[in-house]
Amino acid sequence: MSKQHKGVLIRLKNIFYNWGYFLKEVKTSIRLNLIANLFSSICIGLIFFILSIVVSGWWISGNVVEAIQKEAEISVYFQESLSDPEVMQLSERINQVVGVREAQIVNEQEAHDRMVKILGNEAHVLEVFDDSPFTSFIEVNIQLDKAQVVLEELNLITGIEHIRDNQEVLSQLQRIVQVLSLVGYLGIIAVSLSTLIITSHIIRLGIYARREEINTLRLLGAPETFIAFPFLLEGFILSVIGGLMAVVLNIWTIHFIYSRISGALTFIPLLPAESLVLGLSVLILSLSMFFGVIGSSMGFFSAKKV
Amino acid sequence: MINAQAVYLEYPDGTLALKDISLQIDPGQLIYILGPSGSGKTSLLKLLMGIEYPSKGTLEVLHQPMNRAEGNNIRSLRRLVGPIFQDFKLINGRDSLENVMIGMRFLGLSPAKMEIEAKNALVRVGLEHKTFSLVDNLSWGERQRVAIARAVARRPRLILADEPTGNLDHDNALNILDLLSSFKNDYTSVIISTHASHLLDNKNYKCLELSKGSIVKTT
Repeated sequence: MSKQHKGVLIRLKNIFYNWGYFLKEVKTSIRLNLIANLFSSICIGLIFFILSIVVSGWWISGNVVEAIQKEAEISVYFQESLSDPEVMQLSERINQVVGVREAQIVNEQEAHDRMVKILGNEAHVLEVFDDSPFTSFIEVNIQLDKAQVVLEELNLITGIEHIRDNQEVLSQLQRIVQVLSLVGYLGIIAVSLSTLIITSHIIRLGIYARREEINTLRLLGAPETFIAFPFLLEGFILSVIGGLMAVVLNIWTIHFIYSRISGALTFIPLLPAESLVLGLSVLILSLSMFFGVIGSSMGFFSAKKV
Repeated sequence: MINAQAVYLEYPDGTLALKDISLQIDPGQLIYILGPSGSGKTSLLKLLMGIEYPSKGTLEVLHQPMNRAEGNNIRSLRRLVGPIFQDFKLINGRDSLENVMIGMRFLGLSPAKMEIEAKNALVRVGLEHKTFSLVDNLSWGERQRVAIARAVARRPRLILADEPTGNLDHDNALNILDLLSSFKNDYTSVIISTHASHLLDNKNYKCLELSKGSIVKTT
């Protein structure tokens, strides 16, 4: 075994053998700056809670938009001279266009029936027409982000007389999705930076308070990883405590909000509360673990020369 | 074990702490470094511990060159050395056992092995009855014994004791010197710095006498 491998093995053994010691050190460190540590965890918890609100909004809106996207349709009106087989062919041709989910023919009668359904009690107004105002068309369900490409492609197909594309509504939906995604990403970046700053600051405070012990360990030959480990563990634990606080707040808030709006907003396709809570909990705990370790590493290595 | 050739140590403020120090120490020796306060005893020990680096000349401890470029290796070398500091550098708020064990925690020993070794060291320095006492509550002499136990528990190749007799009365000082001497064996060398040369009147050990940073006498 090489000298380097032997060194790594001893370091791992040291960490394994000294778990009890490290946890005791973390306890001592937290006790030394109890109030500061407590406030740091609360701050991290509140920051993660704000993030979870932003992310909930992002996910719920995403879900709504996705549902609307699935309904994103354009109507293709074909030339009246086309025979039924030609209309079928046209429909099949449209189905092959990239970005088209489904294309189906809506005949005159079906168009009429749909309008009757929409008008409900007022459907009798349709009786004033001597001739049916409805014509057959092809209903095309498309992927919202490919709307432009689909329209360009459809314009090249012969036999199509007119396309009703709802382009403006579709683009607005697309913009909403983009803005919400941007806000979500910015939220994650802001929370990450805040957690890093808070964790690294609290670790620096701990290192400053225990600088004489650290110096003694260095004089006795302790490797830097051994000295750093309790501080990394401390940052990890404080950050995860903050994350857990945020998760608890989330569970309560989401259930509270869902109980208030259930029934009132049935037309909004909300994510199921359980899957939202689960997703947010996994996200927040993962972020708190990751940024706890990174933040405390930053704190430790920036305060190395105490 | 230790080889110094024309070593100088100058501090950043320009103070020349050591001048032209050349010495050779073989394994299994007991050596006293004598001299009044300010003669350079602590500076010499700092060089041997790798806390300071020679400004000029070459120094090797346990075959390890002692210079700034060797920083990481010198950290590893310290694990082979048992230092006893003038101010002990014990960790307050912990008991004697924990203070002794702290010096062994990064040597790859199991917790059970560490505890046995630490308790044995406390027995050797006569402090078994203070094993679980906080070091904050110990007397000066007892704290010094804990520091000695910490140094010897990890079975070092080299014990370096800086002024271990300071602040002790005559009898206790002699006891400490006898105790430290007892750790010398074929494997371990012991180097003790002290200004109390009168304590060694009846002893026949190798001594280096320092004055104003230079070795003025070797006996």
